[in-house]
Amino acid sequence: MENDVYSFALRNTLNEITNACPDIQSIFLFKEDGDIISGEEKAQEEAAVHTVDALDDVLEKAQTLGGVQNIILEGTKGTVNVSRMNDFYLVTVVPEKADLEYVNTLTNVLVPTVLKLLEKISPAVNRDGQSEPENEEPTVKPDFKPIEESTEETAEKHEEHEVSEASPERILPEPQVNQFIVENVGGLFSSSDTVRIDSDTMSQWTEQYEDKKIEQATIETFGGKSVHCKVKPIRDSKYEGKGIIQIPERIQQSLEIRKGELVRVKPIIE
Amino acid sequence: MVKQKKNLQETASELEPIAVESAACENNIRPILEEIKKCDGVIGYILRNTTSATIDLNDPTKVIDYAVLSSSTFEASEQLSELFDLGKAKNIIVEGKDGKTLHLSVGENNISIFMEKSADARKILEKMHSS
Repeated sequence: MENDVYSFALRNTLNEITNACPDIQSIFLFKEDGDIISGEEKAQEEAAVHTVDALDDVLEKAQTLGGVQNIILEGTKGTVNVSRMNDFYLVTVVPEKADLEYVNTLTNVLVPTVLKLLEKISPAVNRDGQSEPENEEPTVKPDFKPIEESTEETAEKHEEHEVSEASPERILPEPQVNQFIVENVGGLFSSSDTVRIDSDTMSQWTEQYEDKKIEQATIETFGGKSVHCKVKPIRDSKYEGKGIIQIPERIQQSLEIRKGELVRVKPIIE
Repeated sequence: MVKQKKNLQETASELEPIAVESAACENNIRPILEEIKKCDGVIGYILRNTTSATIDLNDPTKVIDYAVLSSSTFEASEQLSELFDLGKAKNIIVEGKDGKTLHLSVGENNISIFMEKSADARKILEKMHSS
């Protein structure tokens, strides 16, 4: 998501809003599946991850109200506003003395307009950065730093590449990149080399790469560390559909991450 | 026989507010909430403190859903207040497609007021503060 047209345009929009409204302490967008678009500062991204975590339950339980459209939290020193805009939630945090009316007018006009424009300008690219089926080449490609791979894997991939070249009609799409919030994995029978993600995401991958077995994925942190590991669907239903990845402690240590942080996950097509 | 009597006392204390202090505060708030419940679009309220909870909702089938939403909202507000250094949370308004809720704390009491979509949460809040 981070590298697609949508996130680039929205990130710039958020930065411009911050420039126009210095009162804004923090501003970011997130989707219920855990995708986050925030400004340039790393601190903002971390705050965004924790906010999504904090709001997770409310968004779920507010289904009884027909789903959240708006949340306003007024504190003695500031206000948090969460507004639903298409598939996104826009979060703005302003201090007590900020001009709320101006901030709301700006954000409630600018962000939906940009979202609408993006829908019109690049209909061929959907919000998850995948190309439409009729597009032969994906418009947006994930930009990952190279990681060390075993020679066996490289050879396999090379072989796969040759097969693809021999039959152009079977070109596989670029691996889909998803963002997840790290959650600990517990239990006696949990494997230390297996991460667990939504079964929906696993199904999407399987659909996207029909006939291909997806048993491994690349986990990449925003600090640039990455690791290959086995991937299986989440067993605990309470973590389903929340944009969470359960990562064993050993892998968390090697990636230097912990619960609540954000990672990118890309399937390895075998 | 003695043991049986004790059990009865325990049951009674579960049904009625236990702490005298909180009961006093609660006794002040409950009439206000009863008045607010008569306002247009208000469908009920939950008044909760550390020792007791009062729930008055038009639709009893939604008691659990609303109670869970109420506690999740207060929990989230605490986390967000801490995260963004917002100080003490004064009030939270959650607006959904079909309804809205107003949450606020008075002393040790957490109050959640549930409303229809058309209700004016700000007016209810003003009424709470003026009462």
